[in-house]
Amino acid sequence: MLKKIAFLLLLFLLISPLEGCWSRREINEIAIVLGTGVDWTAEGKLRLTVQIANPGAFVGEGGRGQEATNWVVSAESKTIEEAERVLAKMVPRDLHWDQSIILVLGEEMAKKGTNMVTDFFQRNIEPREIMWLMVAKGEAKNFLETYSELEKTSAQAAGFLTRMKTGYSVQLWEYAEMLASKGVQPVATRVEVKEVGVTPGLDLEKMTPIHKQVEISGVGVFKEDKLIGWLDEYETIGLLWLKNEFIKGVITIPSPSESNKEVSIKIRRGSTKIVPEFDGENLRFTIKVKVEGDMVEQQGREDLAKPDKIKALEKEMAEEIKRRAIVLLQKAQGEFGVDIFGFGDDFHRKYKKAWRELKDQWDVKFAEAEVNIEVEAYIREISLLGKRASSPEK
Amino acid sequence: MVKFRKLTKAGLLGQIQDNFKKIIASDASSKSIVLSNDLEINLQRIKVILHKCSDVVYRDFIFAQNEQIRLALIYIDGLADSGQISNQIMRALALEVPMAVPGQNITKSEALEFIKQRGLCISQFKETEQMQDIIHAILSGDTILLVDGHATAIINNSRGKVQSLSNSEGKTMVRGPRELFVENLRINTALIRRRIKSPNLKIETFKVGNVSDTDIALVYIEGIVNEKLVAEVKSRLEKIKIDAVLESGYIEELIEDNPWSLFPTVNHTEKPDKLAAMLLEGRVAILLDGTPVVLTVPNLFVEYFQTPEDYYQRFLFTPAARFIRFISMIITLILPSLYIAVVSFHHELLPTPLLLSFAAHREVVPFPVFLEVFIMEVVFEVLREAGNRLPQLIGQIVSIGAALVLGAMAVQAGFMATSTVIVVIFTGIASFVFAYSASIAFRLLRFGLLVLAGTLGLFGLISGVAVIAIHMCTLRSFGVPYLSPIAPTTGADLADVIYRAPWWAMFSRPRLIAGQNRKRQEQGLKPSPQKNK
Repeated sequence: MLKKIAFLLLLFLLISPLEGCWSRREINEIAIVLGTGVDWTAEGKLRLTVQIANPGAFVGEGGRGQEATNWVVSAESKTIEEAERVLAKMVPRDLHWDQSIILVLGEEMAKKGTNMVTDFFQRNIEPREIMWLMVAKGEAKNFLETYSELEKTSAQAAGFLTRMKTGYSVQLWEYAEMLASKGVQPVATRVEVKEVGVTPGLDLEKMTPIHKQVEISGVGVFKEDKLIGWLDEYETIGLLWLKNEFIKGVITIPSPSESNKEVSIKIRRGSTKIVPEFDGENLRFTIKVKVEGDMVEQQGREDLAKPDKIKALEKEMAEEIKRRAIVLLQKAQGEFGVDIFGFGDDFHRKYKKAWRELKDQWDVKFAEAEVNIEVEAYIREISLLGKRASSPEK
Repeated sequence: MVKFRKLTKAGLLGQIQDNFKKIIASDASSKSIVLSNDLEINLQRIKVILHKCSDVVYRDFIFAQNEQIRLALIYIDGLADSGQISNQIMRALALEVPMAVPGQNITKSEALEFIKQRGLCISQFKETEQMQDIIHAILSGDTILLVDGHATAIINNSRGKVQSLSNSEGKTMVRGPRELFVENLRINTALIRRRIKSPNLKIETFKVGNVSDTDIALVYIEGIVNEKLVAEVKSRLEKIKIDAVLESGYIEELIEDNPWSLFPTVNHTEKPDKLAAMLLEGRVAILLDGTPVVLTVPNLFVEYFQTPEDYYQRFLFTPAARFIRFISMIITLILPSLYIAVVSFHHELLPTPLLLSFAAHREVVPFPVFLEVFIMEVVFEVLREAGNRLPQLIGQIVSIGAALVLGAMAVQAGFMATSTVIVVIFTGIASFVFAYSASIAFRLLRFGLLVLAGTLGLFGLISGVAVIAIHMCTLRSFGVPYLSPIAPTTGADLADVIYRAPWWAMFSRPRLIAGQNRKRQEQGLKPSPQKNK
């Protein structure tokens, strides 16, 4: 027993200098990258921009008060890895990508092709595939240079915004999946830098006239890996519905008998089913949408707590959904001519043989397809107010 | 020779004894047995019932009034008040009676009445003919007086006050008896007797130590304990050839299964109530004269997560308390190493805000995190050791207080990161949560894991934990796997591991510890409203 222990101890002592803690990196020797941006410059080079956290400014009392929370630095080069090497000459610590929350592509970069960028972030171990992918209107560098009022950095702010799924949010792996599939063309969140006037707290004296902040403003549409156009916020909600993601949507429709007053319905849950039909020649899709919602706001004074009024509201709600879907479909089939909804995947599942022939010309086929929309809408609740207090009816 | 044995009185008694053993074996309750006229036979019978009870005192003497009449006193040393017995009973009957009634000769048949009326200087006594009552009286601390020629025993009230130490300092109990064992062996055995008034509670005494010649007592409950276990403990105790035994720790080291292990495979306690509970589960206790610390075997790892309060408080609370103890064990063992591994190797495991705040704390610190944690751990151990040497009440406060103040100062001066101080002090406090003897093992192992985590990261930490787990699986305490009833799993015993089953559902004794008699109680004890008839 004693011999065994002595042997093991010796073995351990002999091994420990050999491995020498080679991958050890103290936390205060690394530069934590919070957000990454890539632009395509006018000279035809890649510009890598990183937002590096300054940890000292992150803790309340122990921290060093008014320091900037981050440092945005960029470098230009032919590839991302080379640009990182250039950055290494400027940044006194090792760049660590594992906490990078967002990957922002500049508009020009996205038009040039995303494959040049995403490869580095997928191939390497450190960057995570769950980082949010977004396309900036304008330059990614500008986007990273803004700051947020509530969060410490713009990268975190953008990360939280996309995580709440107010728009259509895409993670790097989802984007890669869409890119790999022939049955769907990729989309990515569009972000913008907006200039707004902000009143900080109650102190009116110190009013900042203009502040740049980040905002989610729709979706960028790709054909293969190249950006071809945008969808605005109104259309993005339609996209969410058609892609079976009924999250946090609101539908506003006119009140049944007071057409100048609006009623807002918050979507509770819903589902979309796409049924492809193919007879060898003609391609037809039936989109079956089922939505449940709660009425949350009414501008008019009529009593909606009646079955016939609810029915009317439900009908109007279904119409509204249909209208939006048609607008969006027309845009996708006409203006862009790409299948951003993933109809191709549904078709693939049902007609495996036909898919083999159609897959290479799918976008053309999609653009020609006939699409029917069937919407079933239900209102489940009208919340706490049954009748308006000043209701004219008894 | 065997043939002639019958003719002698000793031979006859031997036969009586053998027959009696059979009777007891067939009727364990010995309810039906009454006394005989012959003092010798009565004594033998009581000796059979109370065999292996070394604390029972048999004192036979001659009645002062008539030299033909023999008397016998039976009581338990330590439990009965021996001063009262010798002053008020022995002295009166053996010496002073002739002075009271000079010249008068008492015949054998008159003796009992005479003793009752005039002989005993004791305020309270009873008479009985039932063996059962006699045994119960002896075990309760009363003194039995047997008179030759009479099938009646006199039960004298001699219940003394057992001088034990009250638990005013040291560990505080939320609920439960405050009594503790003392240094005197006889008082300790009496403390156990008072809790278990069964003739089956056996106390066997030996001597240990060539020079010190210390009394050592083996305590167990016959009928519950595994006989093989008793034999094993005895054989291990007999092997001890040592100059002196000054504390039960000597014995512990000499009878352990795995002397090189950091984990203790012999448990110890100072609480009579806890010991009684352990005996009732089939364990064997080893008492040593001169120390209040009593050893118990076999010892399971889960015992370190069980406290006497678990059994006295409401059972629904127990799982929560045990969970806290279990978590504390894991924290004591791995938290500092996990911190080192994550901060210096695996930054990606942390959520961004947490990583940033760790990084912020570490901005100003001059040392690598491994060195920092190591220094801080050493400082904490120094303070704890200092606390042990100080008077008990101040000690703990000083060590913990100093750790906090020192930590805060070190952070302010920029030597240490706040997160490191939090981790180390929290770990230190967690190590106080579960039993001390096990926490020693974890505290030492923690340093090993620190080195592993500092050099190999999580890989090293996990390998270290795996080695510890494997080692614990190989341990045995007197033949019982150390990690049972978890590994190997023994179904019914799990009722006292994570949670503690309510008393009306604790049907069986631990399977791997107790002997054949595993039934603890009857079914259907759960209180419920009486059904209408």
